[in-house]
Amino acid sequence: MALDIDRYAHVGSAINRWDARFKLVSMGLVIVAIALLKTLPMALLALALATALLRVSNLPVKFISHGLSFVLIFLLPFFIVMPLSYPGEPAFTVLGLGFAWEGLRLASLIFIKALAIVMVSFAIFGSSRFDVSMLALQHLRCPKVVVQMLLFTYRYTFTFLDEMKRMHTSMLARGFVPRSDLRTLQVFGHFVGTLLVRSFERTERVYKAMLSKGYQGTLHSMVSFQSTPADYLKALLAIALAGALVAGDFSGLFSQAEHGWF
Amino acid sequence: MHISEGILSTPVWVAGYAGAAALAAVTMRNMDMEEIPKISVITAVFFVASLIKVPLGPASIHLILNGLAGIVLGWRAFPAIMLGIILQAIIFGHGGITVIGINSIMLGGGALVAYMVWQLRHRFDIQRRELIFGALAGAVGTISSGIVLALALVTTGEAFNAIAATVLAAHIPIMFIEAVVVGVSAQFLSRVKPEILAGNTPGTGN
Repeated sequence: MALDIDRYAHVGSAINRWDARFKLVSMGLVIVAIALLKTLPMALLALALATALLRVSNLPVKFISHGLSFVLIFLLPFFIVMPLSYPGEPAFTVLGLGFAWEGLRLASLIFIKALAIVMVSFAIFGSSRFDVSMLALQHLRCPKVVVQMLLFTYRYTFTFLDEMKRMHTSMLARGFVPRSDLRTLQVFGHFVGTLLVRSFERTERVYKAMLSKGYQGTLHSMVSFQSTPADYLKALLAIALAGALVAGDFSGLFSQAEHGWF
Repeated sequence: MHISEGILSTPVWVAGYAGAAALAAVTMRNMDMEEIPKISVITAVFFVASLIKVPLGPASIHLILNGLAGIVLGWRAFPAIMLGIILQAIIFGHGGITVIGINSIMLGGGALVAYMVWQLRHRFDIQRRELIFGALAGAVGTISSGIVLALALVTTGEAFNAIAATVLAAHIPIMFIEAVVVGVSAQFLSRVKPEILAGNTPGTGN
């Protein structure tokens, strides 16, 4: 499974060239704005903007659609449960269960907003190298400890993914067949325990290696940030759009879900 | 188990961020430089291990293992799980950016409760107590997360009550699976590498 979010960070685009610090702040505001939306038309507009943003970012469609498939799988049940369980008068009944249009509307709203937010976050983190994004976070006063831990964890995720695959292969080679039984769970318990022991021993080696290279609690990077007028302009545009979305939502032009949210 | 983007009302996810920040501040107190790589690497293991699929009848479920995180990292399990959730939101768009706070409380809070249960083992002088208390910690970690998730849904709105009940019910089979896997892991670790387990002496943090 390819997990590296920044595998297309080399693709040139206006989003890719955008100073990561500006990108994080202004796109973060866009995400908050989308999360605040309560009306369907504005959520649809947000989805259209997010689609446009991804077009501009030039990221491959396959890469994005793979990421979005997780959201789809998680949220599809909402389309079934929400209309059938929505409080109030149902419009008609299906198989003895009341079907409410309001519930369907709420499910659609959730779905569209989630899709838009995940698309924007793909545009943020897919268009910069991961270490650059993290360094930008540090420049934005995110605690150093947190940034370092994120970088380490990201780096070792791939190492352990390989390790886990090797262990899994050898398990299969020894004739292990996963079933729904106690024995399988016991095997997985030992599997996780072994993975932990191996990694624990590795952390000791990693830490000693880091110390011997002069680690004193800070990471040094060759990356430096330089902002240009274009960076400010893009940020202004993004913030204006975020403001417009929220303003349109609060204008009272469109109706909101009644029982769904406060 | 996560809550996804877009579902929760604004007051709920904002409160989630505030609560997670407070818990992170408390659980990260007096952190040594030496702990940074250790916590990070173990977070990576949990992140990877949560991709393991366990067959359950015709379907399969992913392991959560937040109880085991509590057993191994003690109070530091909270920042570790929060890291995992941030990365998952960034890498997969799994969960999501606005729900990082509430997801951290859900899974990380479960890990803290699991750790408290795990520590109770010192009061009992019974055979196989690592297996028993590991299993209890695994079960408690899972069900606490289910309860937080259900509460978050219920406080978001009346329309989510049915979903909350479904989600809570779905955690019950997961709870049994987690109990077995975490119990066996805890027993394995106590035999093979006991220093990896948190709170080997009663009453101390890590």
